[in-house]
Amino acid sequence: MIEALPIFLDALSFVLILVLVASGLVIVFGMMGIINLAHGELFLLGAYTVVVAQGLGAPFWLAAALAPLVVGLAGLAIELLLVRFVVHRPLDTILATWGLSIAIKQIVVLAFGPGSHSVAVPIDGAISVGGFTYPAYRIVLMVVATAVIAGAGYVLVRTRMGLLARAVIARPDTSANLGINTGRVTQVSFAVGAGLAGLAGALVAPLISVDPQMGLGFLVPAFLAILVGGAGSMTGLVAGGSLVGGLDSLLGGWVSPVLAQITVFVLAILVIRLRPGGLFPGRGRRP
Amino acid sequence: MLEFNDIQAGYGQMPVLRGVSLTIEKGTVLALMGRNGMGKTTLCKACNGLLETTAGSMRVDGEDVTGMPAFKIARRGLATVPQGRDVFEDFTVDENLCLGGPVPGAIYDWFPALAPLRHRMAGTLSGGEQQMVAIGRALARKPKVLLLDEPSEGLQPSVIHEMGVVLRRVVDDVGLTILLVEQHIELVQALAGSVAFLANGVIAEQVPVAVLSDTLNDAEGPVHRHLCI
Amino acid sequence: MNRLTPSFSAATAAVVFVALALVPVLDSGYWTGQATRYVLFGMFAMSLSLLWGRAGLLAFGHAVFFGIGGYGMASLTMGLFGDGTVWALLARPWVALPVSVAGAGLAAAALGWFLFWGRGVSGAYLAIITLSVAVIVEQAVRGVYALGGDNGLVGVPALGAWAANPFDPVPMFYAVLVTAAVVYVGLDRLLRSRVGTLLTAVSANPDRLGHFGYSVFAVRLGAFVLGAAIAGLAGAMFVATDGFASPSLIGFGLSAEVLIWVALGGRSIVLAAFLGAVAVRLAEAFLSGLLGDFWLLALGLVFMGSVVLLPQGLIATPMLWLNNRLGQGSKSKSRAAPGPANEGMV
Repeated sequence: MIEALPIFLDALSFVLILVLVASGLVIVFGMMGIINLAHGELFLLGAYTVVVAQGLGAPFWLAAALAPLVVGLAGLAIELLLVRFVVHRPLDTILATWGLSIAIKQIVVLAFGPGSHSVAVPIDGAISVGGFTYPAYRIVLMVVATAVIAGAGYVLVRTRMGLLARAVIARPDTSANLGINTGRVTQVSFAVGAGLAGLAGALVAPLISVDPQMGLGFLVPAFLAILVGGAGSMTGLVAGGSLVGGLDSLLGGWVSPVLAQITVFVLAILVIRLRPGGLFPGRGRRP
Repeated sequence: MLEFNDIQAGYGQMPVLRGVSLTIEKGTVLALMGRNGMGKTTLCKACNGLLETTAGSMRVDGEDVTGMPAFKIARRGLATVPQGRDVFEDFTVDENLCLGGPVPGAIYDWFPALAPLRHRMAGTLSGGEQQMVAIGRALARKPKVLLLDEPSEGLQPSVIHEMGVVLRRVVDDVGLTILLVEQHIELVQALAGSVAFLANGVIAEQVPVAVLSDTLNDAEGPVHRHLCI
Repeated sequence: MNRLTPSFSAATAAVVFVALALVPVLDSGYWTGQATRYVLFGMFAMSLSLLWGRAGLLAFGHAVFFGIGGYGMASLTMGLFGDGTVWALLARPWVALPVSVAGAGLAAAALGWFLFWGRGVSGAYLAIITLSVAVIVEQAVRGVYALGGDNGLVGVPALGAWAANPFDPVPMFYAVLVTAAVVYVGLDRLLRSRVGTLLTAVSANPDRLGHFGYSVFAVRLGAFVLGAAIAGLAGAMFVATDGFASPSLIGFGLSAEVLIWVALGGRSIVLAAFLGAVAVRLAEAFLSGLLGDFWLLALGLVFMGSVVLLPQGLIATPMLWLNNRLGQGSKSKSRAAPGPANEGMV
């Protein structure tokens, strides 16, 4: 039983990262009803921020703290310069953000080359529990990710800012009539969502190969997680992330990663089709 | 306090309001009546900024708010109680009320029935209770003008009557200016000082409420001419 | 007006196809071969325009059907299923071709039935689901050894002895060009008929269409299957031209590319979509060498700009403008008879 623990922990760390990435997406989808296909590239930019920082000799944790700020600003720029012009045309937003994702990927290729970079793991060594060892960095990553997700949830549910954000998600017109500057709220939310994705990218950078194509691998599972879990609630997000991420990771270890991905995607599509609001619909968007 | 000057608005190619002019004096209640599809809700949306007008101007308390985004008009003192209440179902009553700003205690004086329900999810309340939340939420903003879009819709007669009583109290206490879009004649009679009829995209007629009551069953009276086929 | 008049449509189509027919005169070798592929991609783009521009279904995985046509053609003509008499019959290219097209259509019928029955998915959800399907299918095909895995199937025979000379791409080019022209004319007539109106209705206001007694499901499914069949046809002919079926023809990459072609060309005007594919591929041939890594960046930026500023398409917008300017001469005629004169508009 204890031998299964590393597999379980791997799955848990993937789930947490997926939830971090997906939380940015769900804010945008829930609030504006649009799909941002460049979100994977925001994740990518977070990872490359760490690469740049490493090149400049900065310590990892400084870079990881900077990444959400840098990517958050990028998110703000994207909202101001692109998204707000297409926001009332949801299908065109998908395309425009897809074009943006191509552009960002190419900029990264031009700046860093098409190959992969590696980021040094900031915390060496492993923690021994019982009869086995597990990499210390992964444990720290999980703790940080959990703390950030919990923090975001707290802000959403217990602060006035979170209340305003939830109001705009639920009923944007009524919120505007209550004097809430819905445009500003969506801009800030977009930037925060971007920042979360950037942080996820930074945290994951030491564990996987950082290359220009890494965005898509997290984007599609993140979307499926949201659609499966339900775009209207925090519970839905965590549930969807756990199911999609957990299943993908566990099956990937057991069978092959390819078969795992195929199985998870097929199951996700079935769930989305049969329960359009997701498993925990809340009062959010419906197809 | 609230002035419309030749407002024109519509949806896409379809014009609905073809030049609406209306003035509501401070501290009075004007009821807007008209058949379905005549543009009452369109006027509400043009008023609170959810719909862009194609021509004409609008003033709140003397200030020109034409073309302003909805949240700015709200901040200039116009509060809306939308059709169908539109409460935030997943928020508590308290959270609903304080969305516009800090909640004055007076709200719970006007709506004593809400006090024990403060921490209940608004989605679990009855239609009448939700209506109180919607009105209270609008009043919590201490507005200069209150816009009510068919507040009686979907409510049973006793609840409508209670709502009329509360609104009467608020009007008397605070001297609020109200634009009341309504189909329900008794509520109009209870609250309004004058009644305007919207037909074919313009204000066809405006009469004091006494005239409305006196000619209620007259075939030549405004009610029959504008509201019956 | 955002549809082309029948005469303008016919005139521009004639110009395009005649111009293309002259390509072998300019270079009967390399460029004819390239043009064959461009025309096939153009056919593929037309099928997406039917789906997206007219029926309002943004399918992010349309290359799946292109690939099914391609892999179907390859595996049948290469005799991968066996040696029996049935398979031998199916291995003949002129039999394998319609069978592959039918295969693509059937796959679309199955997927479409799953997607559109009942309330059905549409809009953004459809996009994400079809995106995921494309990713799955590509992964699956790469994993199947019998289909050549990552390398695909090499050595697909040509459509016939007449096309089998690797140094003479001209006959195949004309076969492809004629097919594309026939498909274009067919689509054009279909879209100007009652079916076209149904498609527009299902995209603009599906609920209202349902109230009139039409089955939204049937219309969507029909459009989906037809679009898939045309894509499958393009894919099958592509593989017979190239001699080679690879996983890149069936996955997300090509699906995203065709979307870009159609978005840049013009999603609602079939000819514009066709030209979009040809133009982008042509531009890529000339510019990607010149611009290197900047080519994709430029494409991404132009794509973004087009979606935001000229959503009708970079080729369709001037076409419509010209169409409307020319139409103004006969405006007095059309005003007199609003009914019949407008019915042929697409």
